[in-house]
Amino acid sequence: MKSKIEWCPGCGNFGILKAFRRVIERLESEGVKRGRIVSVAGIGCHGRMPDYLDIPTFHTIHGRVLPLMTGIKLANPELLVSGFSGDGDALNEGMEHFIHAAKRNTDVALFLHNNQVFGLTTGQFTATTPRGKKTRTTPAGNPEWPINPALIALVSGATFIARGFAGNVSQLSDLMYDAIKHRGFAFVEILQPCITFNNTWDYYRENVYVAEPAESFDEALKLVSDGVATGLLFRTEKQTFEETLLNSLRVPKKSCERDMRSREFHSDP
Amino acid sequence: MDLNVCIVGAAGDGVKEAGELAAELFAHFGYSVFVYQEYQSIIRGGHNASIVRMSDREINSHRKYFDLMICLEDYAYELYRPYLRGDLIYDTKFKCGGIGIPMTEIIKEEQEPNIFRNAASLGALAAYLDIEFDILERIFSDRFGARAKDDITIAKAAYEYYRSRYDPKMRLEKIGRRKKLVSGAVAIAEGLISAGLTHFYAYPMTPASPILHYLIKKREIVAYQPESEIAAVGMAIGSAYAGKRSATGTSGGGFALMAESISLAGMAEIPLLVIEAQRTSPSTGMATYHGQEDLYFAMHPAHGEFPMAVACPYSVEEAFYLSAELMNIAWKYQIPAILLTDKNLVESYKTAEIERTNLIEEIEIVKSSEGEYMRYEVTESGISKYAVPPAIVKANSNEHDEFGITTDDASVRTQMHEKRMLKENLLREDIRDRAWKFFLKGKDTIVTWGSTFGPVYEVAEELGYRVAVPRYLRPFIKPGLAHAVVVEQNYTGQLAKLLEMHGVEVKRVNKWDGRPFTPDELRELLG
Ligand SMILES: Cc1ncc(C[n+]2csc(CCOP(=O)(O)OP(=O)(O)O)c2C)c(N)n1
Ligand code: SF4
Repeated sequence: MKSKIEWCPGCGNFGILKAFRRVIERLESEGVKRGRIVSVAGIGCHGRMPDYLDIPTFHTIHGRVLPLMTGIKLANPELLVSGFSGDGDALNEGMEHFIHAAKRNTDVALFLHNNQVFGLTTGQFTATTPRGKKTRTTPAGNPEWPINPALIALVSGATFIARGFAGNVSQLSDLMYDAIKHRGFAFVEILQPCITFNNTWDYYRENVYVAEPAESFDEALKLVSDGVATGLLFRTEKQTFEETLLNSLRVPKKSCERDMRSREFHSDP
Repeated sequence: MDLNVCIVGAAGDGVKEAGELAAELFAHFGYSVFVYQEYQSIIRGGHNASIVRMSDREINSHRKYFDLMICLEDYAYELYRPYLRGDLIYDTKFKCGGIGIPMTEIIKEEQEPNIFRNAASLGALAAYLDIEFDILERIFSDRFGARAKDDITIAKAAYEYYRSRYDPKMRLEKIGRRKKLVSGAVAIAEGLISAGLTHFYAYPMTPASPILHYLIKKREIVAYQPESEIAAVGMAIGSAYAGKRSATGTSGGGFALMAESISLAGMAEIPLLVIEAQRTSPSTGMATYHGQEDLYFAMHPAHGEFPMAVACPYSVEEAFYLSAELMNIAWKYQIPAILLTDKNLVESYKTAEIERTNLIEEIEIVKSSEGEYMRYEVTESGISKYAVPPAIVKANSNEHDEFGITTDDASVRTQMHEKRMLKENLLREDIRDRAWKFFLKGKDTIVTWGSTFGPVYEVAEELGYRVAVPRYLRPFIKPGLAHAVVVEQNYTGQLAKLLEMHGVEVKRVNKWDGRPFTPDELRELLG
């Protein structure tokens, strides 16, 4: 790889990068050409991901990962579209897109690097920062209650909700792989320690546990609310946005049917 | 022959549709027709007017004074009465002098809702013009198919009522083949399709919404209304990245929201077409009224320096060709392109010949690569070859190297920024000889832009002016003019200022009341 990695040593993003590189290799070993695995990233430390990946990428602007992903998927349903976003990126600046992408069950996978702070802009509070936490812009402690992103994804209609931990690369890699293979909006919240502004390594190492997926929506509400439960938390099936929209049109949908109905990755366009 | 008919009523009275049908009727006789729709941001009530003008010569505007007014509500009558210089046809449910037709009684008898009075008004119009009823019947059938039955019954009753009490005022003769009626919105949409549009995303905003409404009905186009303008422009950029010709459309407020993404398209060199249909501003302004206040905003919509194209159609026909031209430019140069138009052009109807043909100028697109593709290769022209996945292509909003990898390196930045900027020079030469249109002969020149061309042209012809209209506003090509009268619909004279900056001595003629100029007003100002 040409680019030198510029994250702080000890950053959780290294684990996420490693996990995703494994996903690419795994898909490739199944016959998927790299060129079909497309990723978008937002602005933030997480936004560096594209530079470190040998696949088609789009490093877009702050908060706008999901519209780009949706536009890509609608233009070429044969592509496997995933995106990397920060908690600031997806839940502050991009919240409207997050809720709407889940609501329409667009067939993409979103990986949320949740470090509970703005990393790149040096440690201000975000939508997921715990109440009372002192940050650069909340010197007296965060006066707001944090948002639980997985809960928002669930109530907004996401059909695949998982939580991983940057410190458990093999579990995370499996979750990312399953998310990409999932038909519909897949959301993986990744607990990502930011060693510089929110070092949660010890806390997560002690507290995260692997949960069994919830059987029902009501159960899922409870499970995702527990912010340290990891693994696949809830999964359901629903017609995807692309299927609904494209099937009602006279646009080339042969390709999207092949891709979406049977998830066979062995033939390439 | 030149007839200016105004149909007025409340929102919900079907005034707009009545205007379109009257226009169809005139077009049937081979006349040139222009329809200006005036309405308020109200769903029921208020006052709506459809001003339908027909002429035996080519027209692109309505007139201020009405030869005939068809009135469905008394308070609307009060509002529009000052402009009446001819006959009045009215619903006898209210009292005023003129040709009374018991429209409300007719629809009550047929047990139809109030909106059917628009059919009654057309019946009266046909009788007034001594038109065979069959012809009106055909106009209804063409529009509504089998559903036309009720309209026909009501129109017929009004027609017969008129004939039993009044004489026709004139006889409309056929002067040519039936002409087709097109709105500016449809012309734009068809132009985009002709240049290969397959994906359209837009959030509703007057007056751009009709473009979305039209494209959403096309089954070969992916058209969608996402959560906001920010999402719409993002989706358009995503689709273009994946290789599909896409566009979005909005008005000033929505365009403001798109600004950051236009800058993104500039940096990432993604072809992006945005339609900006101006209305009165600032802010929400008068949402359904006309204005030309966004010239500078469209020319410089976003942060940073990047090459861009801005073009402005001056007629419905031109809207078709320029939309196609601009889409091709967006792709050829891989830049954002803005079609700057206005309410009066987008929402007006006109008899125009527009045939959808293939106007696509193909560009070479790389679709596979061995390893990472050099998407931003530094070339002499500034244009690098476009590539789309499954080529391993990296697009980047950050400054980047030739592969699209983020960089802060001073020399790479210097070179890459220059590479992008070179493209605007290339584009300037490309459009140089089609950047302006000149019409007529005369000592003095009137310069105008957008739909204001319609009334200007008409008056210039009468008064002996030459007319100059910019098609392209960016890159801006200096016209060979020492002085000019500049007519536009804003307070400051935005085009006038631009010309001044290029050494042209100008006299400003402006209007900013939300209503498009009419030839009548311009005749007074320029005569
Ligand atoms: C419109 C806009 N506002 C603000 C910024 C500045 N900015 C850059 S990164 C960032 C926050 C990133 O936080 P997050 O998404 O949580 O990502 P992280 O750096 O933690 O990975 C902000 C506010 C920007 N680039 N664009
Ligand atoms: S600031 Fe935090 S998130 Fe950013 S690279 Fe450093 S440790 Fe990682």
